[in-house]
Amino acid sequence: MMTAKQRELLSAFVDGELNKQEIDELLALMETDKDAKTEFMRYQLSSDVIHGYKSYSTPVDLTQRISAALTDEKAHSVEATDMPKAKVFALPNWFWKQTAGLAAAASIGALAVVGVMNQPQTSLSPQLAEIDSVQQQGLTHSATNRWTVGEQEVEDRLNNYLVDHNEYAGASGLFSYARVVSYGEE
Amino acid sequence: MNVDQELVRRVQAGDKKAFDLLIMKYQQRIIHVITGFVHDPVEAMDVAQEAFIKAYRALPGFRGDSAFYTWLYRIAINTSKNYLTAASRRPPVSDVDAMDATIYYDAPELKEFETPESSLMSDELKQAIHLAIQDLPEDTATAIKLREFEGLSYEEIAQAMDCPIGTVRSRIFRAREAIDKQVKAVMGGEEQ
Repeated sequence: MMTAKQRELLSAFVDGELNKQEIDELLALMETDKDAKTEFMRYQLSSDVIHGYKSYSTPVDLTQRISAALTDEKAHSVEATDMPKAKVFALPNWFWKQTAGLAAAASIGALAVVGVMNQPQTSLSPQLAEIDSVQQQGLTHSATNRWTVGEQEVEDRLNNYLVDHNEYAGASGLFSYARVVSYGEE
Repeated sequence: MNVDQELVRRVQAGDKKAFDLLIMKYQQRIIHVITGFVHDPVEAMDVAQEAFIKAYRALPGFRGDSAFYTWLYRIAINTSKNYLTAASRRPPVSDVDAMDATIYYDAPELKEFETPESSLMSDELKQAIHLAIQDLPEDTATAIKLREFEGLSYEEIAQAMDCPIGTVRSRIFRAREAIDKQVKAVMGGEEQ
């Protein structure tokens, strides 16, 4: 015999007004009490008739037939958390690969601009000349294709960046803007 | 919380029992829709079963872009048409728009296929339900009318009636109990 609270649960299910815990309770109730299904189906039938659906003399129950037909079906195992987000974040791998390549090329371009600004003869304005002279104190660019920096550690790091870029660009099929730079001894 | 969405999520995660609840909730409506195409009630139930099985198999691909019932309704329509085609019977020329699935009332395309028995039964039930609602206390009658005729949620009814959601829930439950007594009487009369 169902309690009033349990029947109220069935009524709320007709209206789709249950929380997760109540859905658990409802599933358990349906498992343990056969009257629960009959009672719910009558509540649902009343609601359906109000909304214009026709009825047979007794409510039809297909759940057993369908459950039996699905007995051998494998239970699904889709992670529901992926559902709503899939459309927003499902960018293809090639997109990220190309973006990474372009970002690397852009950073090397920026380095090249800094290099041009450090050329002694390229100062076009007093402001640039000022920047140029300040940068000359810490960073110099020789006639070779290598960075020449006052501190050995910084110079090594910059040259390593150029080498890494050159190798990545070659492997990914991108044109390498750093191929003008050679890290070998001339 | 959207209960259908939560049940779908559980089925997708492997809970077959959650699918039973979806069947129980929508089987009458789906059979009603299919009867508009497949006039024989026994055949209509077979087609409904097939539609639910197709829906279960397709559930991993259901992403919630539409309401679950609208999605299920489309499957039912397609299954009915395929059934008629396979049986070499022509499907109806005019369809019921899928967008109407969730607000579906007495579509003429389907009504013309009602049997006299089902029409009589539905009319008797409707009358019993309306009489039951008339006899309810005012607060209870208002709550069930706002729910069933106006389609308001419990929260909206609580705002409209200026009372807690729990009170709305229990009023609607009491109304359903009263309606159910009348429904049982009509059904009992039919069985005799």
